[in-house]
Amino acid sequence: MTILQAPDRRDHPAGRSLARKRSMTQATSKRRGATYELERGYRRMIIPAILAVAIFAIVPLAGMLALSFSDYHLIRGSKGEFGFHNFARLLSDQRLVNSIYVMSVLSIFGVAAQVVIGTAVAVGLQKIVGKWRLGRVLFLVPYAVPHVAVALIWLSLFTPTLSPINAFFDLFGFTVPTFLTTQNGAMFAIIVADTWTNFPFAMLIILAALQGISTDLDEAAAIDGASRVKTFIFITLPLLMPALLMVTLFRFIDSLKHFPMIFVITKGGPGRSTQATNFYAYVQTFQNSNVAYGAAIAVLLFLMAALISFYVARLNQRVSQ
Amino acid sequence: MKHLCTTALVASFAMAAPFAPTAADAEEINVVMFGMPYTNGLRKLADDFEAETGIKANIDVIGQDVFENRITLSFTGGTGDIDVVHAPVIQVQRWVAANWLKPITAEVAAMAVKDDILKGPLDAYKINGEQYAVPFMAATGLMTYRQDVLEAAGVGVPETWAEMLEIAPQVTNDDRAAIALRAVPGQGFNMFIFPMIMRAYGGKFFADYTGGDLTPAINSPETLEALKVYIELINDYAPQGAGNFNFAEVNAAAQNGQVVFTVEGTGVVTQIVDPEKSKFADVTGIALPPGGPAGRSPAIAVHGLAIPSSAENPEASARFIEWAVSPETMTKIALAEPFSNFTTGSVAQNAEVIAKYDAVHPDFLRMQGEALNLAIGHYRPLLPDWPSLGAAIGENINAAVNGLMSPEDALAAAEQEMKDILGQ
Amino acid sequence: MTEVKLDRIGKSYGSVEAVQQFDLTIREGEFLVLLGPSGCGKSTTLRMIAGLESITKGDLMIGGTRMNDVDPKDRGVAMVFQNYALYPHKTVFDNMAMALKLQKVPAAEIQDRVGRTAELLGLTDYLHRKPAALSGGQRQRVAIGRAIVRTPDVFLFDEPLSNLDAKLRVKMRMELQELHDRLGATSVYVTHDQVEAMTLADRIVIMNGGVVAQVGTPREVYDRPADEFVAGFIGSPAMNFLDLMRDDTGRWITECGSLVLPSLPVDAGARRQVRLGVRPEHIAVTAGGQPQGDLDYQAEVLLDELLGADALLSLGVGKARLLARVGGTDHPVQGDRVAIALTAAQLHVFDADTGVALRD
Ligand SMILES: Nc1ncnc2c1ncn2[C@@H]1O[C@H](COP(=O)(O)OP(=O)(O)OP(=O)(O)O)[C@@H](O)[C@H]1O
Ligand SMILES: [Mg+2]
Repeated sequence: MTILQAPDRRDHPAGRSLARKRSMTQATSKRRGATYELERGYRRMIIPAILAVAIFAIVPLAGMLALSFSDYHLIRGSKGEFGFHNFARLLSDQRLVNSIYVMSVLSIFGVAAQVVIGTAVAVGLQKIVGKWRLGRVLFLVPYAVPHVAVALIWLSLFTPTLSPINAFFDLFGFTVPTFLTTQNGAMFAIIVADTWTNFPFAMLIILAALQGISTDLDEAAAIDGASRVKTFIFITLPLLMPALLMVTLFRFIDSLKHFPMIFVITKGGPGRSTQATNFYAYVQTFQNSNVAYGAAIAVLLFLMAALISFYVARLNQRVSQ
Repeated sequence: MKHLCTTALVASFAMAAPFAPTAADAEEINVVMFGMPYTNGLRKLADDFEAETGIKANIDVIGQDVFENRITLSFTGGTGDIDVVHAPVIQVQRWVAANWLKPITAEVAAMAVKDDILKGPLDAYKINGEQYAVPFMAATGLMTYRQDVLEAAGVGVPETWAEMLEIAPQVTNDDRAAIALRAVPGQGFNMFIFPMIMRAYGGKFFADYTGGDLTPAINSPETLEALKVYIELINDYAPQGAGNFNFAEVNAAAQNGQVVFTVEGTGVVTQIVDPEKSKFADVTGIALPPGGPAGRSPAIAVHGLAIPSSAENPEASARFIEWAVSPETMTKIALAEPFSNFTTGSVAQNAEVIAKYDAVHPDFLRMQGEALNLAIGHYRPLLPDWPSLGAAIGENINAAVNGLMSPEDALAAAEQEMKDILGQ
Repeated sequence: MTEVKLDRIGKSYGSVEAVQQFDLTIREGEFLVLLGPSGCGKSTTLRMIAGLESITKGDLMIGGTRMNDVDPKDRGVAMVFQNYALYPHKTVFDNMAMALKLQKVPAAEIQDRVGRTAELLGLTDYLHRKPAALSGGQRQRVAIGRAIVRTPDVFLFDEPLSNLDAKLRVKMRMELQELHDRLGATSVYVTHDQVEAMTLADRIVIMNGGVVAQVGTPREVYDRPADEFVAGFIGSPAMNFLDLMRDDTGRWITECGSLVLPSLPVDAGARRQVRLGVRPEHIAVTAGGQPQGDLDYQAEVLLDELLGADALLSLGVGKARLLARVGGTDHPVQGDRVAIALTAAQLHVFDADTGVALRD
């Protein structure tokens, strides 16, 4: 009832979760029986999903965990050792430390760029009305291109002999610096490619969230005396927070798996300076046949992802309260 | 349990590994290969095989990056969904050590085509007296050079890397560098090229590979000298950004006239001298890769076909391999694709094949033959651990090229890592 | 407190003219209600005053200054939205304090002003709640509080009560009335509820299809509707309309001759045809009586509906149909024959073609 009277509140994400929460408490207090039935029904509906998750996520995860305690090597087999030796080795592995550094740089700057650009484009696109709205589709194109193809495009753009950018600046006698032969430059290139292909994801989610924010609020703020910038900072941004957090989390976790970009653009180089943790796990598992150690790295990666998810979920809860 | 675990692990890495159909009966086999001219050509001929034998071959040609995941998934799981697999010689030792391949000595002995296959590449697949695969191609390293530029500069074709270093400054100008070489790290990338320089200067991977002494010996004055040559060529005489070049960038640089020299595999060389692909093809010459004080050692890479130990129908697999390397099939592919580095000898006598590659470049087949004669089978050591050794060395070499470490430190690190990998 | 002058204001969206030639001066301290059917341009007019919508034609003057191109925040207006438009992530206090903070009013003063406003509206206990934890009526009060706390020159309301249930609406309406009496600020109030309009307004503007149909006090628009549209729009249930034709003897009769009027209360000039308007509450019904005067007729009750205090009777006078509103006790019922009486002074006559009310 109250909810029906407050459509604006339900229309934006922060309010939506609140409204949902309220509707649940209300429902449980007023119509406990009916709600219970409903919840049981819902629960039954998610059984297949739970089974699918169990089979496709839990089982491989358990397998990986078991492997990470073993000493299984593709070529040399196993001597039957079982324990923490792989994890002990992780602690003193300089390459792992570098890989975590690389991963952090790629993920933090990449995701930040994607979220900022995605939000900026979404805010810009939202203002566009009329037939130009169809232009939105254009911004989705990078997201539809397979990662390997994206990587190839940016590899050539960052290769001085192939890049039209270099050719253009050569006309004026400028030399564009070489990116792929230094660690920072190569990380920059990977971040650019990753951002290019993934900002549309952030854009889509933010656009949807923006659409959920009633225009009344902008107008109320305008009358209250807020400039556009202030309205964005004090009204829009806080209301986007849950969506922003969600996008950041999704992108961040996904970004821990930077495989194709690195594989195609730098092959982990120069040297091994852009071997992010996921790439390093691949190197250990497939190149070095060191399956058990690779699994230990993968377990570490999983734990980091889980920790981040947990933290963001808690943050999300705080924000929407 | 181990199988389950491994499968699980691999599954967690696998990026969109396609689920291949399992062979439903004796009349169907699955072939998994990665993309190159021969494999692309073979796929188009799958119907011929069925017409000839009544066996349907599902030939899957995938990217090299997914290939490794795909086959590891299949082999460790023992799923038996692959009947014939693309086997680079560099991987075979490792696969045999992991018990992934079926010995096929008897099957090969029964093949009519066996005496027609070049002996060097065939023997490269012999491990502990057993044959594990049959080669379909052997790519060797060759040098390409711009005849017009050398003539204008009044210099000859360099015979050694030292001469290359002398000539390089004379042929460089604002728009053009002297040379492009693969530099990106990887046993198939910079480690396809660098050993040519290393061996020319007398450097080696092990104390005595042929004699069985596998003590890492890469940290030697000879290899150091070679590395310095490699670094100087890439940093001083190659185009901007060359420190991250792979074969695609080398190929493009040559085709666009941005460099005078390249040293590349025959697959790339055919594209550099192909008039349809390169404006400079008609002024591009082909020669053997430069040598040095210790002689000349052209790179070689052999690819073949093998049968996984989990294959359910090895007879059909063997029939497929026999068909795939037969002179008839090879000739068809050599004519249809840019595929010159076949290992079935009689194809080279085919008049149409000769005409085709002479038209591309009159010196090509001859130079390829000479390089093949000079190449040593263990150009890159044939060891189960080579993929990880090659990667480790390649990464350190690349780090030195891009100034992340000194050449001395890079070789010391490479040698130490070799020892670690071999458990010494 | 300020005068607001709309000088032939117009708004078009492409070829759609949402508001045309709106010409009105809203007096200082006046409570003006914009009334009209859905889509007639009420909100558009209000939003042009607020500055949320650009003005296509004409001039808007607030307190003597032309405001067409002035930002909303600099027009000295406050607005209460239909959906409240409260900031969901801010507490009641912060919602009300937003404008003051943006004006950089000192914190102590904000505290004081918001506190007083909250007290006025009975919101003191809710200052630290978020809007989601308030009832509809409380939210509406917060929205009003947010407008009041700034002490604006002009209040703008866009259907502020339409999301409330009937009871609450009556209560809030009275509160608004009290509030206006107390603050005396110039107010423009959009509604399509005529009871709100009649009770709150000093003057009502009735709009139809983007055009002002009539401006007047509630009394005026009820008693002397300018045209057929206004006459039909104001009053519930709506006015009865009958087409009358003048016969050769000068009498006015309905199409089938069911009703005959010896003359019209106004001068119809040369017209041979007019439309007669009779409000349901202006038909006197006598059960079983006989028509006596000129404007008395015999009728049959076709349908009766009890509303409570009142009842509605659907009457058949020959072939003509009339709706009458009578007292709810002992009213005639379906099938009864009754006498009805009209009063000349309460009859409305409109031009049959233009719908304009005819007056002497
Ligand atoms: N952005 C727009 N583009 C085109 N036409 C519009 C636009 N906004 C409003 N209109 C039209 O202008 C007219 C007036 O709209 P307005 O919102 O002022 O009506 P209203 O009187 O407030 O109606 P309601 O009582 O339903 O709120 C309507 O016909 C509407 O369709
Ligand atoms: Mg409206």
